[in-house]
Amino acid sequence: MTSKIEQKLRSVARELLEQGKVGTIVGYEAGSLKFTNTPLITKDKEAADRLVINPFIINNLSVFLKDIGGKVGVVAKGCDIRSIVSLIQDKQLARENVVIIGVPCAGIIDLDKIEKLMGKDRDELDDIVRENDKVIVTVQRSKKEYPAKDVLIDSCLACDQPKIKEYDILLDEEATVVCDDEASRSLIKKLEAMPPAQRWEFWKSQFERCIRCYACRQVCPACYCKRCFVEETEPAWISPLPKWQDNLIFQVTRMMHVAGRCTDCGACERACPVGIPLHSLSKKMAEIVQELFEYQAGTDKDALPLMAAYESKEAEDLIR
Amino acid sequence: MKKIKKQDIAKLLSQWQKDFTVFVPSKESGTAEMAVWDGKDAGFLDWYRNTVVPPKANFLQNMEKLFGFRKEGGSFKLETPPPETRKQLIFGIRPCDARAIAIIDMVFKDAYEDKYYLSRRQNSLLIGMGCVKPYDSCFCTSLGLGPAEAADVDIMLTDTGDEYLIEEITAKGKELLAKTSGAETASQTDENKAVAVKQAAYNKVTRKIDTKQIKQRLPDAFENKEFWEGVSAKCVSCGICTFLCPTCYCFDINDEMLKGDGARYRNWDSCSFPVYTKMPAENPREEKWKRVRQKVNHKYDFYPRLFNVIACTGCGRCIRQCPVNWDITQTLSGLPAGAPVTEKK
Ligand code: SF4
Ligand code: SF4
Ligand code: SF4
Ligand code: SF4
Repeated sequence: MTSKIEQKLRSVARELLEQGKVGTIVGYEAGSLKFTNTPLITKDKEAADRLVINPFIINNLSVFLKDIGGKVGVVAKGCDIRSIVSLIQDKQLARENVVIIGVPCAGIIDLDKIEKLMGKDRDELDDIVRENDKVIVTVQRSKKEYPAKDVLIDSCLACDQPKIKEYDILLDEEATVVCDDEASRSLIKKLEAMPPAQRWEFWKSQFERCIRCYACRQVCPACYCKRCFVEETEPAWISPLPKWQDNLIFQVTRMMHVAGRCTDCGACERACPVGIPLHSLSKKMAEIVQELFEYQAGTDKDALPLMAAYESKEAEDLIR
Repeated sequence: MKKIKKQDIAKLLSQWQKDFTVFVPSKESGTAEMAVWDGKDAGFLDWYRNTVVPPKANFLQNMEKLFGFRKEGGSFKLETPPPETRKQLIFGIRPCDARAIAIIDMVFKDAYEDKYYLSRRQNSLLIGMGCVKPYDSCFCTSLGLGPAEAADVDIMLTDTGDEYLIEEITAKGKELLAKTSGAETASQTDENKAVAVKQAAYNKVTRKIDTKQIKQRLPDAFENKEFWEGVSAKCVSCGICTFLCPTCYCFDINDEMLKGDGARYRNWDSCSFPVYTKMPAENPREEKWKRVRQKVNHKYDFYPRLFNVIACTGCGRCIRQCPVNWDITQTLSGLPAGAPVTEKK
């Protein structure tokens, strides 16, 4: 069934293409698996009728914008918009070349969390519905109810930008997000409480299973370098071999490189096929950026990028 | 044929553990993969459908040392590691992944004898386990196999409810079973039960592709830039679909050296990465659509031409794990009909 908001999106997208206001639309369409969507990148106005909005639109579509060229209409949630703003600040994207179709988002449902709670894989579930602060899962006509904060994506729980500021078209009034910063940083809290040696062991065991597929980097809108330090060979910064030490250095360096541009959208963690908890790194880093520089990535398109500006009052204890 | 109660699987594994390094499906590390059995129980039977990391990693490790070298005077002294003598038993391998290993054999055993691969392959036993709950992404039945295919394993198990029916497939499997205690002889009723289970599983695989049509259309579409650009638009060029594909075997070679001491390694590589084909002067697959085209063609056109078999077993991992739900079956089913497209200059 097409929702009201989807109907509006489809007519907006069609109109933008018809009137030549954009050359390409980037949005979501139904994927080929249950509860899964897939990016729709199209120039065809008929394809606009395939656009969807639902609580499973997990991709941060801003990652596609740079390569498309011309004017692009993009379906974006609050967090995605922050990535777009950050790209504009970094002059990777011109504001006039994107038409931001803002989607008020009440949080994305984390299928991994649901699978864990249900003890079943996503393709074994019949239905998942969001109702205000609850999520209801149906399997063979029996219903299970969970508080939304138990099954939303960690990044969503930390979202403090439910009100969309930067947009061209807004599809609906704001949505009510169920925020729970404590829940979002539960692993960070555990890690903070660990003695350094134990924390080191934790990350060692995580990065031992990194296969260096670079999906985390590839889905990241802030990772737009044409040539990543990983691919430098003379000199080589790290080894291309997937040893845990190099895997860890890769990720830590990547996180440092996106400091001030990373919006903690969580795309990297969701993409990681081996489930490395990257949100604990990206969120912690966003917290440090906030603490040291009183800066939040992607919230003001006219602000100088964090790493391109210096103020004399900036923390002297930056290196610690 | 024999059978064993589910609760006795651990006893079976303990016997085998004496002669083999026993690998079983595990989530211990945080990712479903084949890992050395902890000797405790067979709890994995409760959740196991398939692993995220395919068992190809037991043969073609994601990183392996080929040899060491040490600088001595003006030259290098090579140190070849001793051949792998450890015997491994992989318990519960799925039919698609066992077939995939037979497919990789064609490169590392038949076309060329790769001693690293072979030392593991020849020292291995595959205990297959038929699927009763295929994923919605599985499409093995379109590729000449199915959730009960036993052709590529040494012993095959079929889940009949509280028990597993055990079929000895190869001489190696027969030999192992002969010295294993705890399995009972199966009755005709047990065998009939297994036949029904197999048929039911087969019918649960609903995702289909038409390999005949693909064979015709894929070569014709090779120069169809518009088609490939369309299907590749959402791909982000990561390594997931290839690294986790049970039939993808591309590797890179890297040396590491510290103070005159070093080693040569090989590690998984992927045609999805732009640097994969980067050469000093040019890169023939700089553009994404050419890389996606390569991946699909290698599996469905080039490999069949070389070895007469499609290098895809329909395991569905590339569909399940892809961060953007790029779906190879959709690309294949969407291949345009009609006359070959020739390159537009
Ligand atoms: S996505 Fe995960 S496995 Fe892949 S390179 Fe990043 S951290 Fe490693
Ligand atoms: S590093 Fe991860 S969380 Fe941060 S912007 Fe990139 S994908 Fe999003
Ligand atoms: S198809 Fe998916 S998994 Fe494969 S390279 Fe593209 S984005 Fe990555
Ligand atoms: S191409 Fe996809 S479905 Fe086919 S064997 Fe590889 S991972 Fe499995």
